[in-house]
Amino acid sequence: MYYIGLVFEYLKNYMKTRLTYRADFWVEVVSDLLMQASNLIFIFVVFGHTNSLGGWSEAEVVFVYGFFMVPFGLFSCFVNLWNFSDRYIVKGEMDRILTRPAYNLFQIFLENIDPPGLIGSLIGIIIMIISGGQLGLELVWWHLPVMILFAISATLIYTGIYIALTSLSFYSDSPTGIIPLMYNIQNYGRYPVTIYNRAIQFLLTWILPFAFVGIYPASLFLGREEMTHMAWLTPVMAAIFLTIGLTSWNVGVKKYRGAGS
Amino acid sequence: MKAIEVEHLSKIFKVQKSRGGLKGALQDLFSRQYNEVAAVNDISFSIPAGEICGYIGENGAGKSTTIKMLTGILVPTAGKLNVGGYVPHEEREKFVKNIGVVFGQRSQLWWDIGVIESFGLLRKVYGVSEQDYKKRLDELVQRLDLGDLLSRPVRKLSLGQRMRCELVAALLHNPSIVFLDEPTIGLDIIVKTEIREFLKDMNRQHGTTILLTTHDLQDIEALCSRVIMLDEGRIIYDGGLDTLKTRWGQGTRVTLQFGTACPLGRLQSLTSDLHVSWTADNDLHAEVLVPAELNVSDVLAKIVGQPDIAITDIKITETTTDEIVRQIYQTGSATKETQGGTVSHA
Repeated sequence: MYYIGLVFEYLKNYMKTRLTYRADFWVEVVSDLLMQASNLIFIFVVFGHTNSLGGWSEAEVVFVYGFFMVPFGLFSCFVNLWNFSDRYIVKGEMDRILTRPAYNLFQIFLENIDPPGLIGSLIGIIIMIISGGQLGLELVWWHLPVMILFAISATLIYTGIYIALTSLSFYSDSPTGIIPLMYNIQNYGRYPVTIYNRAIQFLLTWILPFAFVGIYPASLFLGREEMTHMAWLTPVMAAIFLTIGLTSWNVGVKKYRGAGS
Repeated sequence: MKAIEVEHLSKIFKVQKSRGGLKGALQDLFSRQYNEVAAVNDISFSIPAGEICGYIGENGAGKSTTIKMLTGILVPTAGKLNVGGYVPHEEREKFVKNIGVVFGQRSQLWWDIGVIESFGLLRKVYGVSEQDYKKRLDELVQRLDLGDLLSRPVRKLSLGQRMRCELVAALLHNPSIVFLDEPTIGLDIIVKTEIREFLKDMNRQHGTTILLTTHDLQDIEALCSRVIMLDEGRIIYDGGLDTLKTRWGQGTRVTLQFGTACPLGRLQSLTSDLHVSWTADNDLHAEVLVPAELNVSDVLAKIVGQPDIAITDIKITETTTDEIVRQIYQTGSATKETQGGTVSHA
């Protein structure tokens, strides 16, 4: 309850600051949307040259992309660790966080909360509805709760991976270039993993399980039987990777050295 | 009751050694060498509830590192630690509800929103009830005279205004132990005095335990009954400020100016039964160092009124705390040859 209350308080403050910098807000929304649009256009271009990608049709790949946008939107709204190393380690703002009576990682999430990210989730839902309609997918009653479960699980997988990677900044003195690399790898999870070679499939499934953020959970709703068992693993992977993330974070905080005087 | 108890506390940082040159940099890439630096080295002390204690030392002596361990920010390498009944780094979230922290060089407040909004957010974070919050805020706002600052965004405040707001932010939840890391740094004399007065009042009214680090010894003189001095991670003095002064003060220096030449030998013979030492640059100017156990008036009585000595000016100077502390910093030790006592050595 305490933590939910805090989310609203920080959101309120976010709004207050953002209302003073309104232009900034819209620039962010528009640039977010343009990035998503360019990804979508890329899919259309690919399917301009072929009718199927590893046995998946254009509408199916677009549906997967739509599904992916939902957890990605949630993730970019609530889990924003981009500037963590710079702001909290190098400038030492972690000191302040650690002297307040709320879980430190949660405070960092709240301080960097970014609601425009949610617009992406909304558009993802619209894309799923449109491409689902084209495919003639039937909506069964359990699809909705399962989709919510999968979307949240996928968000948590993301969160777990990024927490674990960000916690490396507690050990290294200088910011690492690993996060931008991740941003590239994560895009692979939106396409049918079967189009990649075995090593990359393994990587995307078990080591950096970005496939569980896009293709696997979405396949359940597309009725892709060959991946159904993987889809149901999504919540399990979420539990595992969140645990890994939180553990490495908590160990990292103990190694925090502070900055300057 | 002890508010803070510290036993054999140490914090060791591993610092990477960089080898010089391009070749060195390449070597560093593959095999790194580390130096172990003890920022805090086996210190022990305890502070009873309701005490104001000053924590001083040169830059890099380990003051901030100690404060950061006491507030739960850093995990100690070795030693025992108890602050307000908690081990800070182990039960951090529960522990910090009990303490207030002000870092003079860093802000607690949100840069873009009004001061009052920051306070409101902190109220939620600390889980203070609306009623207690109102009462406490009114009290603090009145005491620190913040009335018309509350609606302004923090980025538009002057340093003095901001520091007063920082104090309020750190005290809204009425903590029983307050840590202040250089709270008066960069402030003008009026704001400094105001903050000192405020801290004294708070200590008197609420019995708040205060531990503060500072480079301004006037803070210490105005506030602290006790001072802990640190050098290279070790405690070199722990005790009253008065004791420090009487023990390390060199007594009183009297400077005399003469109208007509007065040889040093004459002055020495007049005061031969007292243990004072004279120095003179020339015959018109002399200085005498009167140790703490002698009265300045006794020495002066021997000289003033002698028909052959025409005094035109007398200046009496006490050794200031600044001088004493500077001396201790320079020698890196608070032990004086002849006296031992409660003092530990570096």
